[in-house]
Amino acid sequence: MDLGAWFYDGRSAARREVEIQVIGRNFFLAELERRHGPYAFSDLHYSGEQGRSWVYKHGDIDGWRLGISRASAAELAGLLPARNIYGGWIDRLGLGKAAIAFAAVSAAIVAIVMVAPQWLAPLVPYSVEQRLGEALVGDFGGRLCATPKGSAALKKMARGLDSRISDFDIEVANIDIVNAVALPGGKIIIFNGLLSEAKSADEVAGVLAHEIGHVRQRHVMQSMIRQMGLSVVMGGVDGNVGGTLNGLLSVGYTREAESEADGHAIETLAAAQISPLPTAAFFDRLGARGADKKKAGEAQKTGKSGKAAANGAETLLGYISSHPPTENRKARFEKSYAKNEAYRPVLTGKEWAALRAMCANDKDVKSGFNLDFGNEDKNWNPDKKMGR
Amino acid sequence: MEGHFDRETPPTPQDSAFEFNGNWAAFGKIALTNLLLTIVTLGIYRFWATARERRYLWSETRFIDDRLEWTGTGMELLIGFVMVLLLLVLPLFVIQFVQQALLLQGQTAAAGGLTLLLFLAIFYITGLAQFRGLRYRLSRTYWHGIRGGSDDQGVGYGWSYIWKNFVGYMVFGLMIPWSLMTLWNERWNKMSFGPHKFDAIGDHSDTFKRYLLFYLLPVLLFAGGIIFGIIVAASGGNAAPIGPAQSFGLALAFVLFFYLGLGLVALFFYAKFFRVAIDGLSLQKLDFGFSAKTKDWFILLLGDAGLWLLAALFVALPLAVAAVSVGLINNFKLPDAGATPTEVYLAFLIPMIFIIIVPFSLVGPFIRYRHWKFFITYLQCYGEINLDELTQSETEISKHGEGLLDAFDVGAI
Repeated sequence: MDLGAWFYDGRSAARREVEIQVIGRNFFLAELERRHGPYAFSDLHYSGEQGRSWVYKHGDIDGWRLGISRASAAELAGLLPARNIYGGWIDRLGLGKAAIAFAAVSAAIVAIVMVAPQWLAPLVPYSVEQRLGEALVGDFGGRLCATPKGSAALKKMARGLDSRISDFDIEVANIDIVNAVALPGGKIIIFNGLLSEAKSADEVAGVLAHEIGHVRQRHVMQSMIRQMGLSVVMGGVDGNVGGTLNGLLSVGYTREAESEADGHAIETLAAAQISPLPTAAFFDRLGARGADKKKAGEAQKTGKSGKAAANGAETLLGYISSHPPTENRKARFEKSYAKNEAYRPVLTGKEWAALRAMCANDKDVKSGFNLDFGNEDKNWNPDKKMGR
Repeated sequence: MEGHFDRETPPTPQDSAFEFNGNWAAFGKIALTNLLLTIVTLGIYRFWATARERRYLWSETRFIDDRLEWTGTGMELLIGFVMVLLLLVLPLFVIQFVQQALLLQGQTAAAGGLTLLLFLAIFYITGLAQFRGLRYRLSRTYWHGIRGGSDDQGVGYGWSYIWKNFVGYMVFGLMIPWSLMTLWNERWNKMSFGPHKFDAIGDHSDTFKRYLLFYLLPVLLFAGGIIFGIIVAASGGNAAPIGPAQSFGLALAFVLFFYLGLGLVALFFYAKFFRVAIDGLSLQKLDFGFSAKTKDWFILLLGDAGLWLLAALFVALPLAVAAVSVGLINNFKLPDAGATPTEVYLAFLIPMIFIIIVPFSLVGPFIRYRHWKFFITYLQCYGEINLDELTQSETEISKHGEGLLDAFDVGAI
């Protein structure tokens, strides 16, 4: 058989037309007057395609190249090494199978990263989470409001909703947005805008019960662990794409958490004999207010969970929001209303008035007008001492 | 190389020493399978994808009588990436904390010193990355079984990079062409192919006129604007007041003109710089040249923009169709996370992500293809080469890829 080939010996650039002489598992490369070798087939590695030839290199000799026509290579099929196209594992499995296998492994890893936080979060000691919350939030840059009467009313409301009130640190911040957040370490912040917007203490109680739900289910820790895991897993993906994917993957879980917190709120309100209807009405009013949507959306971007603001329109974009649609939430609260229950207001009129006026009456509190909610964190300066 | 060509009239592609024979279809297959594997491996395959891409581009590039060969591997690039992560990103992260702690403790001077040090270190590493990236690429490029490389580690080049850039920006940035050109010459003079050293003698003064144009254009425009304003005011501002729409249009035209004009003039300089730099490059008896004019560069960039636009269209169309058809189906309810299980929600979301990611992810590979083709098409080589004298390079081969380069996104050539 005629096994013509071209050959570079790796020492000089001269191109040699040679014939491959096979002897067992070794071979010589014969020119007219000279013979190169012997070389072992087992030392060869596939090095790629060059025009019509397949090129092989020698494992030990830099620049050694043997170009064999496809027809000749077919005759040496059992002796030549396998062609390397995509990379070792993939060539062995074939592209289709390898892609499926990799996809399965990747999906499993992502699934573990997404689900594991639900088991891991309860294992994080509460003291650690509290310290974390303290470091993150501090005193909210001196924007937390306190008056004796207002604080007492807030405490009464909280005690009505949860018996172990010492697990929480509930505060009102002098910032004019209609929102509330649950932060690490059982910290719950109600923004003053929400107090102004609410028509009764029962509405605030519904929102607070929702935030308490986040704390009790340890959603904050879960989402922090999940974010950490995702950013490690997505480390191989380019920055921007990774970040976007990361956010989108989290959304489903954030929404599930919102739904869980709503469930907790409904149970809590029922146990405390507080009517769920004011909360439902509150969602309704918020849904009608377009202006708050944007604010809520921006606050959500910072990754804190738990808000009473909502999105009404079910547009494709709105779909990606982290909250269930207001309509559904409202309906769920309304459905939990029991006709024969003896509901009673959570606070007296006086207490409610004291709570609402707390920020106005606190002379030392800083106002939140300069707060840039595109980047909340930088304003949470734990080093500023509260002037009270 | 037999034929000798005049520099002013570059040879036709067939006569040129360099020729690119690749085609979009063959490359597209590589780009698509690369994207598939990159997605299913959560991005880790991208190092192997780069190696495959280059293997194709190099193997379709003819120099005189034979093709180039790329021998870099994905594993090398991965190792380079991990090294950057460990040696650079991690320490930077730690240093940031130290810096903040220093600031909090009121040690402003120390924090400032650390910042300066950090700045210098990043500058140094950028230079180092530029050098080592070029070295890596030459050491993985084979022709006739012979490769290039350098025995220099680039340590000295890093310092040159710092001080030459510093000098370049002094004197109000007027020395930038000098710093660019001397750095180009310095790194190419340390490179070799086979037993021969490259010789780079590009002269920055040849590019200076065009740089000056780029440099002075904003000043000229600014002065022109002021003069225009004075003329308008002098000709009786009250008689013809400019409406808000008109003044907005004027401002827009000015901004467009400013950025487009400045971009074009920058390209005008860059085209010349590249020509002068490569014209000054030689390897033993081979002289290199580059024949792309500003117009050619402009067309290249215009095509890149076209690719982005095409990708945007490919994203917008399916999304629009989806939105319309969802609207047509009565009582269609989007799955609602929270109410519907997360799995269903993800099953809905993930295809949407793919519709967006796939077209945009294919832009990068095709831009690299176009740029390589552009580079090879306009690259010229004159002179002669003795194959028997072109023996194997004895430079050291590093085991890791261009991680530093990847991290800083510095072009190697």
